[in-house]
Amino acid sequence: MGLYLLLTAASILMSFPLFWMISTSLKSLEEANAPRIIWIPSQAVLDAYQHVLTDPDFLRAYLNSTFYAALALVGTLLSVAAVAYAFSRLRWPGRNLVFALMLSTLMIPAQALIVPQYVFFNALRWIGTFNPLVIPGYFAGGAAMVFLLRQAMAQIPRELDESAFIDGANHLQIWWEIVLPLIKAPLATVATFLFVSYWNNLLGPLLYAQTTRLHTLPVYVATLYNINNTTQPWPTIMAAAVLTTVPLFVVFFFAQRFILEGVVVSGLKG
Amino acid sequence: MRDNPYLFTLLSAAATVVFIVFASAGLGGLARLIVRLARRSRREQEAAFAGYLFAAPWIVGFLIFVVLPMLASLYWSFTDFRIGRPIALVGLQNFARLIVEDRGFRGSLVNTLFLTIFGLPLQVGVALLLAVLLNQRTRGERVFRATFYLPVILGFNAAVLLCWRLILNAGNGIINQVLRAVSQALPVIGYLQRGAIYVVEIVNGFFLGLTNGNFTLMERALAEGLPAANRVPLWVQSPLWSKMSVILLIVWGCGSMMLIFLAGLTAIPRELEEAAEVDGATRWKRFWKITVPLLSPYIFYNLVVGMIATLQIFEPVYVLYRDNQPLAPSAYSLVFYLYQATFRFNEIGYGSAISWLILAIIAVVTFVQFRLQNRWVGYELH
Repeated sequence: MGLYLLLTAASILMSFPLFWMISTSLKSLEEANAPRIIWIPSQAVLDAYQHVLTDPDFLRAYLNSTFYAALALVGTLLSVAAVAYAFSRLRWPGRNLVFALMLSTLMIPAQALIVPQYVFFNALRWIGTFNPLVIPGYFAGGAAMVFLLRQAMAQIPRELDESAFIDGANHLQIWWEIVLPLIKAPLATVATFLFVSYWNNLLGPLLYAQTTRLHTLPVYVATLYNINNTTQPWPTIMAAAVLTTVPLFVVFFFAQRFILEGVVVSGLKG
Repeated sequence: MRDNPYLFTLLSAAATVVFIVFASAGLGGLARLIVRLARRSRREQEAAFAGYLFAAPWIVGFLIFVVLPMLASLYWSFTDFRIGRPIALVGLQNFARLIVEDRGFRGSLVNTLFLTIFGLPLQVGVALLLAVLLNQRTRGERVFRATFYLPVILGFNAAVLLCWRLILNAGNGIINQVLRAVSQALPVIGYLQRGAIYVVEIVNGFFLGLTNGNFTLMERALAEGLPAANRVPLWVQSPLWSKMSVILLIVWGCGSMMLIFLAGLTAIPRELEEAAEVDGATRWKRFWKITVPLLSPYIFYNLVVGMIATLQIFEPVYVLYRDNQPLAPSAYSLVFYLYQATFRFNEIGYGSAISWLILAIIAVVTFVQFRLQNRWVGYELH
């Protein structure tokens, strides 16, 4: 009984910010800035949502985030899956060395590379486009994701592709038709992680997509709060926040059984 | 074509795919050629071709996006490079300026150190506590697990971080309203809260003093003694509290560490605990003598990964403090300072020096952790 009490209390604390986000988005401006506690608005007001959903800047930011996250996700997922295949199902000279090199990049924080990369993208005249946010992923961006898929692929019995090989299939066919369908759950997990990281990315869009036309959701939502306002339009900000996090909720809802089952963790132990 | 950003990036992506296909075929062919020149069998030639063909996207990307930038920035760190200006070598001037003169950098270093000393252990501790609670095989465990993990998915989105700004508001933020109500109703909690405020402000004042050599805030907190009864934490309004808000956010996002611990806990044989229980060991003792030592590899893993993550914190600082002058420097993290110092005037040379210093710090810290690990991490049962 005490255990349940503890777990419930912890759950309330952990999910409180999300509850508060939704609750505030339904309040009127007066209630949101009131100096007393209003847990649930006396009357759900949808003005904030109406305001946000008719704001062309918000809609464009939504489109931008969706476009960039989807395009980056496809390329990253495919290239990560290809590289993981090389590290798990193929034996080639130099494999262990390259693999060790890849793992060592886990120690390099991505942010430590932004300065030279910025110069590089500037030379390509890519500042002010989505390219710096999308293209690097196509080169199997994310060593952790490669590692996760490699661990999953390594568990598939070797006889499977050997017999396919004897039947005349080439590596591309084995990869696409035999290996990938067998690791759907890890693929879903990796896709979720990638989507989340693209959707939440703030530093990248701040550097490369500075014009209003290219604003992604995190950048746009951050501009809604202005410290010089005497009263912040909290219901509007929170309505935008709720709509921003909806895709994350949806993705997590469908992928949670893979993530929480510990696909990630089983990858770490191997 | 550049007028339409979507079309431009779609075409660029297509061109990239073509480039990767050709580069992969080229790299695979090169590998096959080398193996053939080494007079290996046909089978080995094909294996080399396939291996490099599939691994090529990463290898090519590693060269373009990691090796090349790192070498370039190493060179630039010894220059005064600014975008659009001629480059001149300046020797160690950037590093000297960083270490000797730059107060902002020293401040961000101390702030990050603060987060690592106080935030990381708290995060690991809460993750361990939640994992132990969940490991009792209760009903509804999955719902709890999902709830505890959710902040990892949502937490670092600027939208959710803005919500924290609302929650942490000193005047009418919900946390302080609840704290006020509770400490008025229960005087005991009021005293605890005032004691906590006292300690936090002294410690933070000390660390602030480390960043700018000015310890007045600490002395004032010491001199004032126990805060007044109606005092509440000034989360995002005072330099004595700005880092505490970030720590709160770090602890909130402890879900992935919790999953790691859960995996470790399920690997501990039940019999071990049961045997100890029969021998009369209390729950507390079992936790410290059995669970913690057996979990030590997982604690170690979380500490290493968590340390690297803490050194990289950016989003919470940006959303909570970017426009929050003059207290913002009291919360700047290393990466936020890198972003600000480099791109304010596009000082690439100086930014490169900061990047390399951050890399060096991470390398040293990780190395030290690995050296210390055999002192306390046991791998017996694994």
